[in-house]
Amino acid sequence: MNTTHVHRPPWQTNPARFRPGHWLGILLFMLCSGFAAETETHWSLQPLRPVAVPDLQDPWIANPIDAFILARLRSEGLPPSPPADAQTLVRRMFLVMHGLPPSPDERIRWESDTKDLVDFLLQSPRYGERWAQHWLDVIRWAETVGFETNSPRPNAWPYRDWLIDSLNADKPYARFLFEQLAGDTVGEDAALGFLVAGPANLPGQIGRDEESMRQARQDELDEVIRTVGQAFFGLTLGCARCHDHKFDPITARDYYSMQAIFAGLRYGDRRWRGTENDRWTAELPEAARKVAALENELGGLQCSLGLLPSLADQQEEQFRPMIATAVRMRINATANGSEPSLYEFEVWNRPTPGEPPVNVALVANGGRSSASSFALENQTRHPDNLNDGTSDPRLAFPWKAAKGGSAWIQIDLKQPTRIDRVTWSRGMSVPVDYEIQIQDSQGSWQTVANTRRRFPRRDDQRKPADLALEDVSPEQQETLAGLLADLRSAQARKTRLAAGPQVYGAVFSTPEPTWLINRGDPMQRVETVPPSAPAALGNWSLGNNSQEPDARIALARHLTNPGHPLTARVIVNRVWQHHFGTGLVTTPSDFGKMGSRPSHPELLDWLAAEFLRTGGSLKRLHRLILESNTFRQANTPRAECIARDADTRLLWRFPPRRLDAEAIRDSILTVAGTLNRKMGGVGFDFFKQKGGLSDYTPHETFPAEGLRRMIYATKIRMQSVEIFGAFDCPDAGQMKPTRSRSITPIQSLGLMNSPFVNHQASLFANRIRHDAGTNLETQVTLAMDHALGRPASPGELLSLKELAGEHGLEQVCRVLFNANEFVHIP
Amino acid sequence: MNLSQTALRLLNRRAFLSQTANGLAGIALTSLLQAESARNHAAEPAGTIDPARPSAPRPPHHPPRAKNVIVVFCAGAISHVDTFDFKPELIRRHGQRMPGNESLISFQGENGNLTRPLWTFRPRGKSGKMISDLVPRIGDRADDICFLHSLTTTSNTHGPAENVMSTGFAFDGFPSMGAWINFALGSENQDLPAFVAIEDPRGMPQSGPNNWASGFLPASFQGTPFSSTKPVRYLNRPDSVDLQADTAARSALAVLNEEHGKRFPGDQGLMARMASYELAARMQLSVPEATRATAEPDHIRRLYGADSPNKTKAAFATNCILARRLIERGVRFVQLFNGAYASGGQLNWDGHSQLQEQYAVHGEILDQPVAGLLMDLKQRGLLDSTLVVFCTEFGRMPMFQAGTFGRDHNPNGFTCWLAGAGVKAPFSYGATDPFGFRAQENPLTVHDFHATILHLLGLDHQRLTYYHNGIERRLTNVHGNVIQEILA
Repeated sequence: MNTTHVHRPPWQTNPARFRPGHWLGILLFMLCSGFAAETETHWSLQPLRPVAVPDLQDPWIANPIDAFILARLRSEGLPPSPPADAQTLVRRMFLVMHGLPPSPDERIRWESDTKDLVDFLLQSPRYGERWAQHWLDVIRWAETVGFETNSPRPNAWPYRDWLIDSLNADKPYARFLFEQLAGDTVGEDAALGFLVAGPANLPGQIGRDEESMRQARQDELDEVIRTVGQAFFGLTLGCARCHDHKFDPITARDYYSMQAIFAGLRYGDRRWRGTENDRWTAELPEAARKVAALENELGGLQCSLGLLPSLADQQEEQFRPMIATAVRMRINATANGSEPSLYEFEVWNRPTPGEPPVNVALVANGGRSSASSFALENQTRHPDNLNDGTSDPRLAFPWKAAKGGSAWIQIDLKQPTRIDRVTWSRGMSVPVDYEIQIQDSQGSWQTVANTRRRFPRRDDQRKPADLALEDVSPEQQETLAGLLADLRSAQARKTRLAAGPQVYGAVFSTPEPTWLINRGDPMQRVETVPPSAPAALGNWSLGNNSQEPDARIALARHLTNPGHPLTARVIVNRVWQHHFGTGLVTTPSDFGKMGSRPSHPELLDWLAAEFLRTGGSLKRLHRLILESNTFRQANTPRAECIARDADTRLLWRFPPRRLDAEAIRDSILTVAGTLNRKMGGVGFDFFKQKGGLSDYTPHETFPAEGLRRMIYATKIRMQSVEIFGAFDCPDAGQMKPTRSRSITPIQSLGLMNSPFVNHQASLFANRIRHDAGTNLETQVTLAMDHALGRPASPGELLSLKELAGEHGLEQVCRVLFNANEFVHIP
Repeated sequence: MNLSQTALRLLNRRAFLSQTANGLAGIALTSLLQAESARNHAAEPAGTIDPARPSAPRPPHHPPRAKNVIVVFCAGAISHVDTFDFKPELIRRHGQRMPGNESLISFQGENGNLTRPLWTFRPRGKSGKMISDLVPRIGDRADDICFLHSLTTTSNTHGPAENVMSTGFAFDGFPSMGAWINFALGSENQDLPAFVAIEDPRGMPQSGPNNWASGFLPASFQGTPFSSTKPVRYLNRPDSVDLQADTAARSALAVLNEEHGKRFPGDQGLMARMASYELAARMQLSVPEATRATAEPDHIRRLYGADSPNKTKAAFATNCILARRLIERGVRFVQLFNGAYASGGQLNWDGHSQLQEQYAVHGEILDQPVAGLLMDLKQRGLLDSTLVVFCTEFGRMPMFQAGTFGRDHNPNGFTCWLAGAGVKAPFSYGATDPFGFRAQENPLTVHDFHATILHLLGLDHQRLTYYHNGIERRLTNVHGNVIQEILA
């Protein structure tokens, strides 16, 4: 490793920033971190090396995975376990691959044929639904923006569909990765939901000061870098935002070079190309013709009625010069009926020849503003906004009346002034019916302009009778309002078709320069940096003037280069983790020095190489694992092995574990016979709102749409769902590549007492009664078969029969949903 | 104690990988665990978390001054210059531009002139601490309070700044202070949640459940939200199930779990799950008992203002009584919210436009209940072992915003206070500049504030860590110093 490069402090290139104290700090830091002594490259950054499969002759070995596992077990003196019984194995395979238990029929069908079961499981669309959830955890995907508004991202759901479809189609991993970084270049717009999966503050929630705005931009790009860094590199690049990474060879320069790759990125909706888009495009010419025809007709009408042009968003009203002490605008109606509102109101003097005109309304020029009322909102809507000299909505606030209907604003001038025009700028609404009045030195008011002879704006939604035009008959006003309404809907259709279907994803424009900044402080810019990958991983770099999408494509190529040390290792480890509950590397998004070392380094490298050799096929990798005896062995604990390896990291048995939240809910619905298997599209709702401020009210009962698999639930960031959230469901605040599996009484309360679970228990009971008839023993036996996939023991049968007999079969079903066995992968 | 990677491994291992309880193997495992703890953290006692009792009491790093904590969180950012931070210069310069900051742009934009406090400040208590008429009854408790006048924070936006105050980070998804403390210390009462978040009767605070989230800590350490107006979800069996049926169902469940457990002898995780059902059943009795604030005598209810005809005040007062009842029963950490989400200052302390009218409403709701809580804790001797933390996400500007009758956000200097176990009182620490605009004397970060609270609980903020995505995370990130000067 080139330490001089790695440790170049960010301010070194800028001598003005040099402070001697820093060097002492750097020296101490190097000593403490051990970096100075580091000579060997960290294991995960070394290239994949060809690994020989251990040459063992043992009937236990079904494929090379077993050889690696067995070799290690032998060296530790631990024998592997015998194969699991077929009943357990089928249940395990269904729960791991689909997150759903097998039905009794499926169990019987596959118990005798677990080989073909692998095909069945991989071909079923339930596979993509299950494994997509694991990826969503990694990137903390959600359908709200997070932070305090937590507003919905209503067009985010197609990413979930893209993900599920991609897994089901077994898209090669290089392609899977490429589309998420640069899907716009290959017509996969929904895949770009990946880059902007994280939380982001909305512009309205960001302070108006320069520091806040720069900080917010840094924050939103930081979320992108974290996503890419952890998901694909398996590195925590985020640390280097403020300083060179303390443990990994990632410098602050690397961080900002990575930021430069995404310098043109914004969070937003983009056009969603595809068949739907093509259909809309085909319909566009006709829609445009309709708009043109209506415009034509309105144009003719305007001519024939002899009206003045429509009002603009910023409108000047001229009048003959006169001395004024005050100017007032009386607003009688707005285009859409909402509260009158203006950003700015200017009053222009009649200058002496040779002088420029002056806006005498400005507070700086002595103008004083007032209004009939102003709205009390979170931000100022005061009439002072009218004459503060700014109408740029990004920098200023508008005046807004407290309620709809008529309102007035007034500017009192510093002294009597000869004026000849006023200009207003629309606010949150646009006035369409108003009078401009001027007060002379004697205090009397006269109207100098009004809207009675204005042809209505296209967005004017007043009723015909309210148009109040002079010299226009009620019939003509009726026709006019009708044409305007037709035009609006035709225009809306044209706009919608022209924009095409929208999908939430990264949106790109010309990149701004990216600055290396000191200590993560956006006010301390050091120098601009070009896009590149972390220097320790390669040395490609694009020039300072690279354009979209070159840098993203270069990044995707960098990551999918077969020689990349991290990409394949990281993804095969994720797959392994969700088969066995723990990865070969237990820190799946951190392959750096703070992460754990692999329990089986050769196996990890062999799997990565095999994965690359087979074209990056995730399904082939699954098959390899599912066909191994490592996966197929029994789960029984053995004291002598526990004593040596309590974590079962060496896999002397299959380690059983609790199901994830989603799999528990989906299993309940499957067993109750109520699961709605509809795939794709907009999600269902756990709450009565799809986003927004806190105070979410949960649904207690669900229509069929709400009985879909839980992955289709609209994901609200930071809002735990009822009952199942307590089972360590990630909140999508931070990335969660591994879920904790805690045990709390809150979980028990939800599963025992919630109306949802009890309702499903009664539906489950109905199903059993329907299929099993009235015999209690038959009922209990069938219910056990559905829920736990096995017959009841004599003791269980006795107990459950008694419960059913005295308190109803519903109670048996409720108990089964709560059983340890029900919520565990065996 | 270090509850970092070791604790996580122990938690996961003991939860899900069977540990044989019988014979030599069990002994071997126990010694293995100890060996590992000792190897990793030679000088420290082993921190272990029993999955069956994740909130079992655990020893702190050093002898604690406080056993439990009540946080009063004023959501929306209560104005320090109108309450606890007396600034004569601000009164003198009322109506003038702030010298040196004549054209300050803050969160919502331009600011107007310096505006004197909207309530009169008077000397309070024996100490004569100047506190305003907005909070006169809290003012009467001045001699019990340690004021920190020089807090600063890193965000001027409500949600992120609430996150900073509750979790140490502006971003969503980090563990809250209560979760850290629950993780570190557990609780004295196994029949109640160790960490309770009591929402304001008017609604949730801005960043909602992130204020009591477990983040990347296991879910068992998150705050359980309930209040005098909002019960624990699913606490009781459904109406459709009678007591006999419920009891019979629980017995049958035990039969099933025992049968299943035979195949996994000694599996702690399975046993823990069974135990969690027993705890849930006990909670069905203990939570209603604890929340029965109506059981309090009338003079106590009057002390807090729970008898007020103002329904919001009465409900908040009842929440304060509930907080005391929970602490009495050994709950470790109670977070009481005063103020709901963004509402233009109507439902919380976010007084941008009509501060005087809005604060008059909010002050009435806050003042007596919090003062009553302090008095009640003191008269019961609980203030010796309980730390009361009064906080808010940031302060407000000494001037009105241009064109409004309210104050904009001010992260540069604001006041929080502590009362009770282990802190000096009466005492004031740190100061803002003469206008209350910027922390000037002994500026404090929220990390310092957190480090001090942990210290009072016997915890070293630098040693309370948890590994997540490449970093040994702390409540205090990589910052924070204990404010030694305020320790009693």
